[in-house]
Amino acid sequence: MIDLLEISFIKNAIVGGLLLAVLLSVLSLFIVVKNWSFINVGISHAAFGGLAIGFYLGLNPTITGLIFSIVVGFLIGYISKHGKLHEDVSIGILFSFSMAFGVLIISLVPNYSSDLFTFLFGNILTITNTDVYMLTAFTFFTLLFLYLFFQKIMFCCFDEDVAYSAGVNTSFYYYTLITLIAIATVLSVKLVGVILASAMMILPAAFASQFFWHYKKIILFSVVFSCIIVLTGIYISYIYDLPAGAFIVFLYSFVFGGVLLFKSLIKRH
Amino acid sequence: MEKVLEVKNLEVALNGKEILKDINLDIFEREIVAIVGPNGGGKTTLLKTCLGFIKPKKGYVRLLGKNPKEAVRIGKVGYLPQKPVLPTKTYLSALDVVLFGFIHSKLSKKEKIKKALDILKIVGMEKHAYRHYSDLSGGQQQRVSIGRVIAQEPKIIFLDEPSTGIDVVAQESFYDFLKKIRDEKGISIVMVTHDVGTVAEFVDKVIGLNKYMHYLGDIKGFFQKDILEKLYGTEVKLLVHSPECVSCEHFHMDFKR
Ligand SMILES: Nc1ncnc2c1ncn2[C@@H]1O[C@H](COP(=O)(O)OP(=O)(O)OP(=O)(O)O)[C@@H](O)[C@H]1O
Ligand SMILES: [Mg+2]
Repeated sequence: MIDLLEISFIKNAIVGGLLLAVLLSVLSLFIVVKNWSFINVGISHAAFGGLAIGFYLGLNPTITGLIFSIVVGFLIGYISKHGKLHEDVSIGILFSFSMAFGVLIISLVPNYSSDLFTFLFGNILTITNTDVYMLTAFTFFTLLFLYLFFQKIMFCCFDEDVAYSAGVNTSFYYYTLITLIAIATVLSVKLVGVILASAMMILPAAFASQFFWHYKKIILFSVVFSCIIVLTGIYISYIYDLPAGAFIVFLYSFVFGGVLLFKSLIKRH
Repeated sequence: MEKVLEVKNLEVALNGKEILKDINLDIFEREIVAIVGPNGGGKTTLLKTCLGFIKPKKGYVRLLGKNPKEAVRIGKVGYLPQKPVLPTKTYLSALDVVLFGFIHSKLSKKEKIKKALDILKIVGMEKHAYRHYSDLSGGQQQRVSIGRVIAQEPKIIFLDEPSTGIDVVAQESFYDFLKKIRDEKGISIVMVTHDVGTVAEFVDKVIGLNKYMHYLGDIKGFFQKDILEKLYGTEVKLLVHSPECVSCEHFHMDFKR
């Protein structure tokens, strides 16, 4: 009985982990191109605030998290588009605010501290069937959207003004992309925690760009790289009874760091 | 002839500062128009207003018979910015960038690639088609961007100092090339430039802009002392009056004409 339960956990962890790996690696291309790692960090902290509000008010935390993150995502997008503040500054202000807000709210919820820990590091082994369905649907939708409008989105990332002048509805793609990143962030934060979610969304394309420059190769390589790391991470952490999320983050940074070190050594010789 | 751009009583202010005033202007099909004037004279601002990036404080712009934001939608307006703000790494090849020009085209992917490669040949970049755009030199990127604009098969193109970064040898042929596509495709070209001398024989109209439109007419009428003075201030008086000045060689050539 316990074995069966465990198998279903593992199955969900593997399927969920792979879906996240694919989804977040593809999105990571845009985050690297636009130098948006800060947006991702900002949104994941906003997600934290949003989820906390849900817990406090007794609402579905995923939904409050989604609303909160999308609002913050739009705010970041709007400020950086129309304001004079640099994106990093506007995100910095917003994410400090929502994180602090989240912590304040959480301090009002009795016995929340254990959830708080889960929240930072997540627990990939507790992914439920419902989570997997939601993730499948969202991943499918996101990939479809990106597939259909890929060239236009890349054009916006390349030069928004020029894309606009060539007849691309840049605001639509800009805000849709931010919304997709926000939703992906909330889902992944809920499933694997803030830290792994950020790692999975920033590192793959950054890593791939060490070897390739063309976006097609970067997408392909990031997806494969991420899937391998996630599978290896789940497998090893299961065998040695290590916390899976933390171990996967460790693997990402270990491989990335190792390659950077190796590259700089080669350059020196 | 069809009117492709109409600017009426235009007034533009940025952050409360008056940048453009009393601008009236008509540009027709097949015209090549040069906008000249001192740094900070509002040339880029005028282009951006024509493209719908900036809302006028007064007056209006009609581009291809519509308001600019609507006009750009069909993809028949080409634009080459003065200082493009690009990501440090674009992860795109030169070919990908030219392919952006076909974003509204109904051609098959194969045909688009074939056409894009032809265009790269025209702008002298065929050898670099499969290189990272971000690894190209400034002038090479400029050539690829011009290819991108041509790919749109535009009705009108706005070029903000297009010859920046293109070497002197290539410049003449660049203007020849602009003239050729105008003749072949019948497009209108509005271009901001500082080398009035070089473009003199290619343009149909010159606009002298320094907040106000100090001049609108053909190139011959432009090279007159009082107009240049109004436009550039007293500095030009010096240029015009000193025959040994090397940098204004072109000014002299055209002035004498
Ligand atoms: N966003 C802005 N806010 C306030 N003032 C601005 C803004 N952008 C431009 N200006 C001012 O508007 C004036 C015209 O600028 P513009 O860029 O149109 O000049 P330009 O003729 O293109 O100059 P250059 O030859 O140097 O390219 C300048 O005085 C500039 O300082
Ligand atoms: Mg300018």
